[in-house]
Amino acid sequence: MRLPRFAARVSAFLFLFGLFLRVAAAAEPLAELWRERVKSVVAVEFYVELETERRPNITGGLVLDREGTIALGGNAIPNFLPPSQLKDFRVYRPGHPSTDYGQAEYLGYDAVTGWHYIRVDSAFRANLRPITDFVVAGAAAPVVADEVWGVGMRGKDEDFEPTFLSSRVAVLLTLPQRSAIALGRVAAPQLPVFDRTGAFAGVGLAGYGESYFQYSRTERGSPLLLVSGDEARVFRLAPEVLPYLGRVPANVYGRPAAWLGIMGVQAVPPDVAKFLNLQEQSALVVSEVLEGGAAEAAGMKERDIVVAVDGKPLPRLKPPQVAPSWLEREVALRKPGDVLALTVLRGTERIELRPRLQDEPRTLREADRQYFDRLGLTVREFVFVDVVSNRIKLAERTGVIVHYVKPNSPSAAAGLRAEDWIREIDGVEVKTFAEAAAKLIKLENDQARTEFVLLVSRSGETSVLRVKLR
Amino acid sequence: MGPSTSLKRLRDSASAHSRVPEGGTDSRRPAVQSVRAPGARPSRPPSGRARAGDPRHSAPTLNVGRVTALFCAFAVFFFTPFATAHAKMSAGFNRLLDAVVRIDVREWSIDEGARRYAASIGSGVILSGDGLILTNAHVVSPRAVEINVTLANLERVGATLVGWDHWTDLAVIRIDMEEVRRRGLVFAHARFGDSDDLFPGETVYAVGTPHGLARTVTRGIISNNRRYFEDTTGVRGYETGVFNTWLQTDAAINPGNSGGPLVLENGDVVGINSRAYVGADNLGFAIPASTARRVMADLVKDGKIVRSYIGISPAPLQDLETFYSLKQNTGVLIDNADVGSPAAKAGIRGGDILLAINGERVDGRFPELLPPIQNRIASLPVGTSVRLTIKRGEQQSDYTVVTEKLESRHGEEWVFEKWGLSVQKVSRAYAREHQFPDAAGLLVVGLQPGFSAALSGLAVNDVVTKINQQPIDTLEAAKKAYDAYVEHPGTILVEVNRNRNVTLHVFKP
Repeated sequence: MRLPRFAARVSAFLFLFGLFLRVAAAAEPLAELWRERVKSVVAVEFYVELETERRPNITGGLVLDREGTIALGGNAIPNFLPPSQLKDFRVYRPGHPSTDYGQAEYLGYDAVTGWHYIRVDSAFRANLRPITDFVVAGAAAPVVADEVWGVGMRGKDEDFEPTFLSSRVAVLLTLPQRSAIALGRVAAPQLPVFDRTGAFAGVGLAGYGESYFQYSRTERGSPLLLVSGDEARVFRLAPEVLPYLGRVPANVYGRPAAWLGIMGVQAVPPDVAKFLNLQEQSALVVSEVLEGGAAEAAGMKERDIVVAVDGKPLPRLKPPQVAPSWLEREVALRKPGDVLALTVLRGTERIELRPRLQDEPRTLREADRQYFDRLGLTVREFVFVDVVSNRIKLAERTGVIVHYVKPNSPSAAAGLRAEDWIREIDGVEVKTFAEAAAKLIKLENDQARTEFVLLVSRSGETSVLRVKLR
Repeated sequence: MGPSTSLKRLRDSASAHSRVPEGGTDSRRPAVQSVRAPGARPSRPPSGRARAGDPRHSAPTLNVGRVTALFCAFAVFFFTPFATAHAKMSAGFNRLLDAVVRIDVREWSIDEGARRYAASIGSGVILSGDGLILTNAHVVSPRAVEINVTLANLERVGATLVGWDHWTDLAVIRIDMEEVRRRGLVFAHARFGDSDDLFPGETVYAVGTPHGLARTVTRGIISNNRRYFEDTTGVRGYETGVFNTWLQTDAAINPGNSGGPLVLENGDVVGINSRAYVGADNLGFAIPASTARRVMADLVKDGKIVRSYIGISPAPLQDLETFYSLKQNTGVLIDNADVGSPAAKAGIRGGDILLAINGERVDGRFPELLPPIQNRIASLPVGTSVRLTIKRGEQQSDYTVVTEKLESRHGEEWVFEKWGLSVQKVSRAYAREHQFPDAAGLLVVGLQPGFSAALSGLAVNDVVTKINQQPIDTLEAAKKAYDAYVEHPGTILVEVNRNRNVTLHVFKP
């Protein structure tokens, strides 16, 4: 009899103690939770170096691990910029003197998370805490009306001072990842959001458009849409983020990258879906099937309507415009060589296709390029997107593309424009980037030359341009 | 009509000729000047000391000119009744004045997705005893539903369209001669002069209806007798100026002058006034009589002009002779050969030099030399074999090209009123410019808010490619689908190409 009583006492004690711990945990002041969690946040500064200028950029970063990996938002760096133009990454701790920073290297972009990654030098890592430290296993995802809070950040002149933001969840949407829209601002873009207990709840995405009317003494109210660029009302929920934290690119170009080879994927609007007897699901029209791509090899035709992936109908997504990125994600989650089973509607027929994904053809970011200051232009290698945008066959690829024209330079005066396709230099066909670059280097260095002639192609029409060097 | 600044200035010019009546004219202000042509700003008034036909006083220095102009505007405002002309004009000129008419046009137009009517005013000149009037293509077009001509004696009579040619911005209308006989109306007719003999500095007069001010005479000189000016959308969205050069004059040309004659002191018509630089001073342009005479004859004969096309875009060779190792004054640079055109099919391409057409040497050193060369090709009957001598690098060889019929980039337009949708047939040129694989489909040019096309999410510049899964290659195919819809309204599926994206839309009744 004694033993059970003792056991009962102990368990009662343990129960009470546990209760006390829980209460204590819950009672930990938000300010304290916030101070601790600010360590998973950094400010990142870098330059985009262009032909004639350097553009400084500042963005927020999320610390992913103890190896100093930091994720930047997809919007922080335009995807067409080659990594060689991203310079001098510096990492700052919010609220610490901005003279004290760590150097970081650019790691690349991942299509699934939509993030760019950098890695800060080892000396600086000790100051940081990865966001995974605040992941609570089994923590319930926030629901409508739940209180959430997060971290914002001031400017560089204020030492990137962290700010506390909090709000409640107003609505949950699938965009196509599960995301929440809060009543007010909850975090800076790319900075974390937490629930009341301090468990990681998501990552800030962007502001949310709000309509306002602007009045003045002389004008009647005119409608205005305001979106905060500094602080986000929309955040992506933790379960959509956590499984992919390990997707750090193996190289700056994010290779290998799975590629289906289709273009202009458009969501079918609901009334059209109804007309096509596609109820309770999304559907996607494929505008173009690209030459040499996986889709073409599998027999996909332009205007095919994708209705299912791996035998499962597309979920019904709201707004319909998010459906194309749902398919993009399905592709990005796979590897070259994987099969993506698609069910398409062609006329009234349902057709099963099994495209085997390929590695994406050389991209704009990977294209060779060279700047010629005296001539006033940058040319770059002709890559796959140029085949597509010039509407030619793969076999017709030749020449180089004008990437940049320096204002008021000889090239600009000749009427050359970015995206012009150079076919001939001085009446001689240039087939490859190397050929073109060699010719242009000669022209650049030949001080005796007074002019040269280009044959360029611009939206399907050719034009002869004379570039006067003096 | 209150005396506005422009009115004053125009009166000043008009005072050179006492025959222009001051009262009892059409005092109606032009509605919206939908005619595209001439410039908006009134020209600087000529010197107050100058008398008609006395060119010695017509070119004061700039400062003197400004002062004089100010004084002149002032003087005219207060002393118009005293500023009568002393010189008499020639009999030919007086006869010309009796041959110039005001043209009031009511025409259908497209406003968003609806069919509406619009009115405009222009000028014209009677060139035959049986009532043929030459005017601008942008004054009277095939969209005209009612054409009224006000003769010099202020009698108003109906007219009909005889022929239309946007390439030269010319149209011919014919006065309702039945009505003329019935009412016993009389009119004079003018005659063409030789525009090839004109020289810069020669005195010319513009006669017309600027801003609705009927029978306005303005005076100036030929500023340039061979001006190159090309516009791909210059005449109601249609191309103009490819096959002719223009006479440039500083005689005041304002909206409403369009279609009126540019004449010599003897009244000979040397040009048809048609456009002016908006916002510039006294930069007016007229189609030379040499072109007008030929085009008028063809329009009277056939109602239209069929031209040949081979698909080359010529460019001036200026400064490139050395690069291409050419003799001076030889050759035309071919900037582009249209994809799929006869020239491209024959193997001609951008960067080639055209040396001769059918063995006859061509010289396209300067821009103003190009329209006559273009016209030489265009004037050939459709289907003619032309031998083009081409230089490419060091090689010279002949290419035989068979001409095709020239088409405008501006396709036929139509309004589907129940859908609130106006469209334009995609032309071959439009398809080429936008690198479409073919010229199938209809370009959306207007949408009426609240109607089914707009509600379905269609947007301007979309290309409608299918209706209810049926390809829409022609305007007729769409009209058929529309008629079926009107008869049995129901839900229809519309497929659109929007900037290379295929989008689907549902029209609901």
